[in-house]
Amino acid sequence: MAEARTLVLQRALASLVLDPEGETFEDDPTAFALSRGLPDADAQSFRQFSEGLAAYRELARLSLLDPIETMFPITKTLLVREDAWEACVDAFLQARCVASRHYRDIAPAFLGWLAETGWGQATRPYLLELAHVELLEVLVARFPEAEPPPGLHPDPGLQDRLVLDPATQVVSYRHAVHRTSEAAPVPEARPTHLLAYRDGEGRPQLMDLTPAAAALLVRAQTESLGEAAAALGLADLAATTGLLKDLRERGAIAGFQAAS
Amino acid sequence: MAPSRFPGQERFTGVGLGLRRPHLEAVAARENHGVPFWETCPENVIGDGGRPHRDACAILDRDPVLTHGLAISVGGFDPWDGDYLRDLGRFLVRTGTPWHSEHLCFTSVDGSCLHELLPIPFTREAVRHTVARARDLQARLPVPLLLENITYYAELGAAEMDEAAFITEVLEGADVGWLLDVNNVYVNALNFGFDPKAWLARMPLERVAQLHIAGHKRFGTLTVDTHGADVIDPVIELMQWTLARLGRPVPVLLERDNHIPDLEDLLAERSRLQAAYEDILAVPVRGGGHG
Repeated sequence: MAEARTLVLQRALASLVLDPEGETFEDDPTAFALSRGLPDADAQSFRQFSEGLAAYRELARLSLLDPIETMFPITKTLLVREDAWEACVDAFLQARCVASRHYRDIAPAFLGWLAETGWGQATRPYLLELAHVELLEVLVARFPEAEPPPGLHPDPGLQDRLVLDPATQVVSYRHAVHRTSEAAPVPEARPTHLLAYRDGEGRPQLMDLTPAAAALLVRAQTESLGEAAAALGLADLAATTGLLKDLRERGAIAGFQAAS
Repeated sequence: MAPSRFPGQERFTGVGLGLRRPHLEAVAARENHGVPFWETCPENVIGDGGRPHRDACAILDRDPVLTHGLAISVGGFDPWDGDYLRDLGRFLVRTGTPWHSEHLCFTSVDGSCLHELLPIPFTREAVRHTVARARDLQARLPVPLLLENITYYAELGAAEMDEAAFITEVLEGADVGWLLDVNNVYVNALNFGFDPKAWLARMPLERVAQLHIAGHKRFGTLTVDTHGADVIDPVIELMQWTLARLGRPVPVLLERDNHIPDLEDLLAERSRLQAAYEDILAVPVRGGGHG
């Protein structure tokens, strides 16, 4: 490759920033550079500019970790208490999961890494759910603008299916992670159902759902309200349609259309 | 290269502000803010949603706007994201910006974005590579491309030229404009021990279309471009010196990204810089260009 030296230099700096060996880079900058495949002249430069290069490790890690520490304060508190936070973020950075140029995507990348690797979850089965609920409102708040399908009507009928607003999420957890705090970061093991949506002002809102309501909001997206209510044993259809109408007025449901 | 290569630039003069998330709601609700133009980062707007996004779009559709990218990695090796470039092009057209700026640096390696402005080696090989990338990027954008000189804290690898020569060779090789960050020049001068005015006097100032100005902070032996403090007087004086040298009322953009103050405080700092801008431009010009 024609530009091989430039690429090797860039890879060496990325390694200094992201890999655990970068922590002790200043102990022997020359050896670090040589271990990354750089020629002697570049290795000498790494020694000459070791302080500045080490600053890049600090600055870039601050830049990458700031949104994670901001978005996941309870997850961080939990792991700091257990002396595991540094190991967690070190593993995340070393995995090189931040591909997006959008700064707002760093926190979702961390959540995705937790989901993909299962890091820390053998001893903390609630860790992924805790991180997810911390990001849930942000994901809903910033969901890209999208138009709902045309032809929706505002009032639900039993032959209709419901269409959620594109930003709305119905989530179910095995733990009451939405009740945690930095003072009490370990959640109770209790099935939890939440509705996260944007209100008319575009601000995120979180609502507790009963198991039946959560199931209805999922099923009635693909089958008629009458079928979904019957399958779930919901006898009070007036109360059911009243709930759905209320959720449409709040902005969680975009509207209703005939089930095909 | 004549400054007139930027159609629409006459709408941009004076001192503008970087549009930041904490101020979106207040700025959207207020037309008489006195800011002649804003600068926005496309990465922070494209693909976003919700209330702050609506406010940002309302401002961008109402007020004059320049665009400034953060992480396209001009000096890197990762392939362009075609979807993002398509969205970026649409965004630039929508805002009516006369140019789009990116940093003369790399931010991504092997598909991993480090979200930091990392220095390109000052080598002939890196010049060739960056010139080719900048030319290719320019061909994909609907408006002229500017590249911005960054703050750097170390040379990456054994240098074959100094920073001034590197920047000049890239700007001229790629035939692009220059977003001259005077605070970055000042900070680099502190960290590497050179005279910022002598440095600027060597540079192709005829390529300058816009200036950046910001605050910085010293940490131990290193001064860092934090964008987290008020602009100090020596940097304002360097801005004035540069404007006098240019002899043109190029727009200046005040950047503030950390310890972001209330909007009123930021507007007051902008007014202070605007006064300095007007003071120096009231003096008869001495001409621009090289040397």
